[in-house]
Amino acid sequence: MDKLVFGAALQTGDMLIYLILFVIMFAIVIKFAYAPVAKIMAKREDKINGDLDYAEDTRKKADDLAAKRNSELKNTRAEATQIVQNAQKSGETQRDQIVSQAQSEAQQLKSNAQKDAEQARVDALASARDDVAQLSIQIASKLISKELNADDQKALIDSYIEGLGDTNGSR
Amino acid sequence: MDEKLPIVNFGGLSFNLANDISGLLACLIVIGLVLYLSRKPSLRPGKRQNVLEWLIDFVHGIVKQSMPGEEGRKFYGFAFVLFMFIFMANQLGLILEINVGDYNFVKSPTSDPVVTMTLAALVLLMSHYFGIKKWGFGTYLKNYTRPIALLTPINILEEFTNFLTLSLRLYGNIYAGEILLKLIAQFMGSFGVVSFIPGALLEMVWQAFSVFIGSIQAYVFVTLSMVYMSKKLEQE
Repeated sequence: MDKLVFGAALQTGDMLIYLILFVIMFAIVIKFAYAPVAKIMAKREDKINGDLDYAEDTRKKADDLAAKRNSELKNTRAEATQIVQNAQKSGETQRDQIVSQAQSEAQQLKSNAQKDAEQARVDALASARDDVAQLSIQIASKLISKELNADDQKALIDSYIEGLGDTNGSR
Repeated sequence: MDEKLPIVNFGGLSFNLANDISGLLACLIVIGLVLYLSRKPSLRPGKRQNVLEWLIDFVHGIVKQSMPGEEGRKFYGFAFVLFMFIFMANQLGLILEINVGDYNFVKSPTSDPVVTMTLAALVLLMSHYFGIKKWGFGTYLKNYTRPIALLTPINILEEFTNFLTLSLRLYGNIYAGEILLKLIAQFMGSFGVVSFIPGALLEMVWQAFSVFIGSIQAYVFVTLSMVYMSKKLEQE
């Protein structure tokens, strides 16, 4: 069997040579070129996958943080409003308190002052009455040159002055 | 065409030196090329590594067409070497044609049916080997009766036709290309300048087309190899 298709010769040795050549070439190419590059390619694929996953993760985390921050911001705003309201309310009550205190104090002062004035008037009236009585007696005793007993005439004078005070007091 | 074959007999085997030398040359070119392209591979590829990675991705794509899953992974390296070798062997005869006396020493090794049949036999024997390894011998034989027992003779016949079509397709394409190259070369020298200029143009056009054919045939050979391989690895 040394003729093959179309009368081409069958070289059995070539088959052997080609088998050996192919195996050697296969070994060299795989070991020194294909395997390292394929490994690098796989590694790159892994790295890209990892990076993409990491990016996805990070983005999700960032979204979570943003949502949390937003809700916190809202809370804070509500809290701030609350605080301001509280402050307003307490300020108002304090103001009311101060005003009412001031009013009552003023009332107190006013009533005290009135009382004092009344007292002063009464005192002044009393002392004036005494003085008038004294003077009247002295004048009378001078006029009638007679020793008048102040005590004996006091009731009479007082009744006069009472009448005077009544006309004066109505004014 | 009329060249004598430089045949050497050694130890009961006959060697066609033209095949052997050009085969060795193709091997050396492939090895040199991939080693040159793969120096210092890194995660950030350089220009050379990009070229090699493109080639590897291309061949991986061929394998994935017939074996998309994990199963095809163990054939990636084989398919890559096979593709590179057949591609180089196809182009070798277009750039280099060395004749010493009447003897031709360097041509496309794939323009000889012995070489293509060796490659096809290698591929198909591997497919049988992996088929038996995966299913066990009994199931492997039973697979010939699928999908129905009636088709068993055709299934067996198919093994031989696969072998012949796979090898002779490649051989025929490359051999015809080389024949036409030589014919055009003869035409170039037949009438002096009058035939040289159109002949040279024609030769250039045909060489360019042969580069295309050689690439396509390398692609087809690897694709069909992987199809036959996957057929043995799956049950219908």
